[in-house]
Amino acid sequence: MATTPQAPLRLSTQKALAHRLILSTLTGRPVRFEQIRPSSLTHTGLAPHEISFLRLLEAVTNGSQFIIGLTGTELLYKPGLITGSAPGSGASGGVIRYELPAECTRGVSYFLIPLCLLAPFSKAPINVLFTGPGVITSATPSGDLSADSVRTAILPLYAQFGISNNIELRILRRSNASTSGRGGAGEVQLIFGHQVRLPKTVHMLNPGRVKKIRGVAYCTGVSASNNARMIEEARGVLNPMTGDTYIFSDVSSAPYVTSIDKSNPNRRRKTGVGFGLSLVAESSTGSLYSADLATPPAGGVPPEDLGRQCAYQLLESISFGGAVSLAAAPTVLTLMAMGSEDVGRLRLGKYVLSSEPIIGLARDLKAFGANGWGVRESTTGLDGDVVVSVVGRGVGNVGRKIA
Amino acid sequence: MAPALGKRKRRDQISDTEINRESAADDRSVSLQALFRQHFESTFEPLPCTFARPPLVHNIDDKSSDEELESDWDGFPELYEEQVETVHYATSAPSKADVSKDEFKTFMSTRPPSSAIEISSTAKRKQPESTDNDESSTDAANLKKDLALQRLLKESHLLDPQSTLSHSGQNRHKALDLRLQDMGSKTSVFAQQKMPFAQRKGITAKAIEREKLRRRGAQENGIILEKVAKSRKDDSTRKRGIGAPSVGKFQGGMLKLSKKDVAEIEGPKKIARHKR
Repeated sequence: MATTPQAPLRLSTQKALAHRLILSTLTGRPVRFEQIRPSSLTHTGLAPHEISFLRLLEAVTNGSQFIIGLTGTELLYKPGLITGSAPGSGASGGVIRYELPAECTRGVSYFLIPLCLLAPFSKAPINVLFTGPGVITSATPSGDLSADSVRTAILPLYAQFGISNNIELRILRRSNASTSGRGGAGEVQLIFGHQVRLPKTVHMLNPGRVKKIRGVAYCTGVSASNNARMIEEARGVLNPMTGDTYIFSDVSSAPYVTSIDKSNPNRRRKTGVGFGLSLVAESSTGSLYSADLATPPAGGVPPEDLGRQCAYQLLESISFGGAVSLAAAPTVLTLMAMGSEDVGRLRLGKYVLSSEPIIGLARDLKAFGANGWGVRESTTGLDGDVVVSVVGRGVGNVGRKIA
Repeated sequence: MAPALGKRKRRDQISDTEINRESAADDRSVSLQALFRQHFESTFEPLPCTFARPPLVHNIDDKSSDEELESDWDGFPELYEEQVETVHYATSAPSKADVSKDEFKTFMSTRPPSSAIEISSTAKRKQPESTDNDESSTDAANLKKDLALQRLLKESHLLDPQSTLSHSGQNRHKALDLRLQDMGSKTSVFAQQKMPFAQRKGITAKAIEREKLRRRGAQENGIILEKVAKSRKDDSTRKRGIGAPSVGKFQGGMLKLSKKDVAEIEGPKKIARHKR
């Protein structure tokens, strides 16, 4: 750490801000963001969820600084050490209690997925409890996964990197997005207790065939028959494809939030009413494809439509091919780039590789000093998949190295 | 909500056929009135009911018979006004038996679902594999028969002449005792534990005498018997006097150490030469 301070990397716009901040923290390179929503008249600069994410980074790291410009359109971030939920750094009883404000429009997976990427490189286990009036556990219209999908489609992939012990994601209270799309008052706890020096090198070249489909239908504050109707319709689409389809149903009451108005402080109101569906297809080689859909904040979608659309979304995700779906690809590619100095190979669908987030990730990784990717056509299989070779950085867990 | 949906659907059907009906005969004025009424009700709100409605079903049936190509809907059954249309959404609710409890636990627990189910399923599959393999099964059967034969030879003297090949009652216990001794039990279960010392001496003396008699008789008749098993002297721990040295032999006011004693004191020799 006593080396000469590097000049901050200059990046522009708010695009993939969370992931860029994660890369900055993992590589230890300071980063400067410019032109964050400069032309927006109503929401100039950093959005509430981005500020929340910065605060979360500050909670799990030690010595990180961020300086936000006066207008909010510029941000300088100097990363610190990833300490996790070590005692003495804001954790009480080993748990960091993290409150999301009511203005948050993104689902809790916006915070969970990057935090999971930091967790293997942490010094101490990460144990964060997300509470507050801003936690939306369901999928959101902005494209966030539901917390269920994070648990069933993202976290199992860490096992391939040799990170499998003591990982838990507890959905303590469910919540959909509330009517305005902001906030939900759910509660989620992430326990990530497996820290490694370096993630293993992986070769995911065989996508296999989809052999089973599982899912969770959830509803908060509405009739459980909505779940049954979603499941019925989704099974109607999926059953002809795979015999082994089962969707579990989870019914919960709507969370309450205390009202803000001063005249009647005891009045509580319901938020986050709605329902949604999370589907995961598992192949014979352990590849996972997921789909997520929840009621829009305005409502007005019958559960049949939602179930059918979600099933189609899953089929679409499978049709893209590759050993990793689009939702999980950034996680897998980042872990590969942070692995040992060895060539890991990953088979991706052409559409997945050419999608904007993945291309953006490749550029970001290069900007942060990682090696470039090698891309070649997959020789096996009939469909035109692509094999991406990623060389790890070989630095790994700085906290582990010192300790 | 469900009945309302059903009702609206029904009205739509009627309003479709309504256009055709305007060109039809005028003598059905009563039913026409009813139709207008229904059309009004479908667009606005229900009118207060003042008269009994004539059955509309008739007309619709006639129409459909006239123009079959219009739709294949053949009307509601009679007295449909009284019947409440019910719509079942969850007709085939998936039964809980579809998935095992383990699966629920692995998928719906707080941990990310792993492939633990596969392991359990393969464990279950192993059992039939072992039975269908004929070579191993014949081997097992042969071993079983062999064991039965061995036992029969050893325990045949216990068998009742009347009974079958299995032991019963006291004989079963005796056979079991024999098997235990065969496997290495020191004494018989039936050996008496407590008895007067004189009696025990008498028993051992009698056993020795009987053995001597047997050996002598065999020698006289020229029969070669098994060798006498020598009872080994238990001299592993020598008794030493109190305060005496624990090693060597004290002889003539001098402690003599044998080569073995010296070697034991010195311990294993280490060959460690460090030439510099």
